[in-house]
Amino acid sequence: MKKLKMHLERCTGCMRCELECMAEHSSSKSYMRASLSKPLPKTRIFVESMLERSVPVVCRHCKEPLCVSACMTGCMQKDSKTGVVSNMGHEQQCVGCWMCIMACPYGVINTSTDVVGIKGNVFSQALKCDLCPDRENPACLEGCPNEVIELVDIKENI
Amino acid sequence: MSDNKQGSKTYDQLSGYMYEVTRKDGMETIYERFANQQPQCSFGSMGICCTLCTDGPCQITRKATRGVCGASADLIVTRNLLAKCVQGTVANVYHARNVAKTLKAVGEGKADYEIKEPEKLKDLASKFGIDPKKDIKDIAREFGTFFIDQINSNDYTPLELVKVLAPKKRYDVWKKLDIIPGGPNSEAATALSKSMTNVNNDVVDLLLHCLRLGIANEYAGLFGITTMQEILTGTAKPVESSVNIGILDPDAVNIIMHGHQPLLAIKVLETARDKKWQQKAKDAGAKNGLKIYGSLCEGQQMLNIASEYKDIFYGQIGNWIQQELILATGAVDVLAFDYNCVMPTISEEFAQKYHTKLISTDKVIRQTGVERMEFEPHKANEIAEKIIQRSLESFTQRKEVNIPSVKQTAMGGFTTESVANALGGSVQPLIDAISDKTVKGIAAIVGCTTVREYQSGRHIVTLAEELIKKDILVIGAGCCSSAMQNDGLMDVKAKDRAGSNLSGLCSALGVPPCLSYGSCTDIGKIIQTAVIIAQELGVDVPDLPVVASAPEYMEQKAVADAFTAVAFGLSLHLSPAPPVLGSPLVTRILTEDVEKLTGGRVFVDTDPVSTAEKIEAHIKDKRKKLGLKI
Repeated sequence: MKKLKMHLERCTGCMRCELECMAEHSSSKSYMRASLSKPLPKTRIFVESMLERSVPVVCRHCKEPLCVSACMTGCMQKDSKTGVVSNMGHEQQCVGCWMCIMACPYGVINTSTDVVGIKGNVFSQALKCDLCPDRENPACLEGCPNEVIELVDIKENI
Repeated sequence: MSDNKQGSKTYDQLSGYMYEVTRKDGMETIYERFANQQPQCSFGSMGICCTLCTDGPCQITRKATRGVCGASADLIVTRNLLAKCVQGTVANVYHARNVAKTLKAVGEGKADYEIKEPEKLKDLASKFGIDPKKDIKDIAREFGTFFIDQINSNDYTPLELVKVLAPKKRYDVWKKLDIIPGGPNSEAATALSKSMTNVNNDVVDLLLHCLRLGIANEYAGLFGITTMQEILTGTAKPVESSVNIGILDPDAVNIIMHGHQPLLAIKVLETARDKKWQQKAKDAGAKNGLKIYGSLCEGQQMLNIASEYKDIFYGQIGNWIQQELILATGAVDVLAFDYNCVMPTISEEFAQKYHTKLISTDKVIRQTGVERMEFEPHKANEIAEKIIQRSLESFTQRKEVNIPSVKQTAMGGFTTESVANALGGSVQPLIDAISDKTVKGIAAIVGCTTVREYQSGRHIVTLAEELIKKDILVIGAGCCSSAMQNDGLMDVKAKDRAGSNLSGLCSALGVPPCLSYGSCTDIGKIIQTAVIIAQELGVDVPDLPVVASAPEYMEQKAVADAFTAVAFGLSLHLSPAPPVLGSPLVTRILTEDVEKLTGGRVFVDTDPVSTAEKIEAHIKDKRKKLGLKI
């Protein structure tokens, strides 16, 4: 399956990957416009500071994902063909119980608390990397000015 | 930010105590804000981010070696650096202009001040063709006018100040490089025009302009500030005083004068002496009356002349990073501040929480909701009375008071003259001490403190401690002085932490091994001391066993000061690394090539212990070249 590999030594900590991720996952595809509307854009890749260095952290799309085991509605699933772990586009719906966040050992699941439903109701949802299904390459990879992020194919028996 | 070895964000114990208070009170301080900013973008810290035009912002990356306009990494770095240098220079010059304006007003009889050092004024004015036999008021008016005219003069006429005051050897070097500056404001305007999009791509020319600004920064800025302030407030004299947060008195009405310009502070000191105000403070319930303190560079300048105000000046509170912690004591009734180094959170969050009445006293500083009492030379007494009146009102609003119980002392008040006086009238004994290796050399540790090095200077304190162990005399100025004071390095007892030779000299003279020259604007005085020693020895500044260091440099004034040091031929240590590393060319010019031009250079080292070793090696090298014992 496809996974994101990080060349940490190239990361400058500019956090452009976070901006691109937020833009891609907004309806307007623009960070500036999305930040003026709801739901507020939230990143699914995180540039953390560790030992005075910047380190981008993102979902590993685990072989045996703990978030999937923890999900009570069953919307968090690992796709049997692509291997992508996601809680979006399934007939069950995320209810925002955050058990996936509790279970994830990498801390790469974010929260959205202002998603507006069809009837105007506001609810919460867990947000995580989906490897940008609508694009050839994930937005973070293309947005990175220093080619830190690489998309690699790893053989994994699902 | 990782925590230091004591497991605290603060290197200074008293600040650590106050930091816990802010945590308990749920106040966000500079430490939390710094942590929230991590990671910080390397494009900015390496100087290769350009936001000048709307074709940008551009960054130099693995795939883009030029900005949209075509600017290379070298050009982007240099333009950014020049703009910072301009900002620092004009800030110092602005301060100098305020002092000159007051001097002129004294001459015109329109100021609440008098000339405290007439001889110094006469001596200086006579160098510029003003007859010293004239009435002192006329001299003050003429020299004040002359100085303001110099600031406003054109950049195509070399500054008289430089032509007359610069040492001959330096002047020749500068002349050869064609970097004798004209009027600083005009030089700044030219520099900003040069650093615009699509104007100049000659990196060397832009860097030489930085040096040009550095020279203007010294003569029309730092030197002017120090000298004219001494003329108006008196020359510094060595004096024992109190330092750090613990000196605040819970049983007194406390006023802190905060900022950089000491003229108003002097009036507050003089007014507060009045029995009327002391009685009013006691009537308000403060059994110890009214007490005045200084903070950051204003405090350092008050400390310099504290020997005249021992009855009313109660000490120097701290450096700029401590300001939120100082208010958190709940014992500051008035914080009156002029320009530079006032955090926005002081007025937006801390003053309300801890009852402090804020007063701004300079026209460049405006903070929302803060009462303004803008300084004018003829209104100083009136403003001083108002400040004291507000403190009495504010005292009654006090809430919980929380002051650490430790009291610390330090010695201040050193300057070229007072060092010479302490040595018996000339700097010769210091030169002898350097010659016979009692003092291996001198290191000036100057400038800001940075939150990167925890509170009250891990780098500053460790570096100073390592240097005095090696018998290198340390001179401090600005917030660096404060960090050393808070650690006890500027107390006479600190001689025990020095090497045996330096320790002996300190015992004999009754001075600490780290001497405070005052505020960050007093860096000009340090350079003058170096110039005088060089002249006495008949050599040029770069030949001296002297090193400058800004181990925790933070803002733009420090950038301008750095170029002043390099123009004067000093070797300058900087930490953190300035935003130039994105250009190997600029890095090489500043760390190597410039030495062939001015004799000065920059070196970067973020570790205090290895910095001390490099400084010692440099001093040894210079001693060897002068034929002194190594």
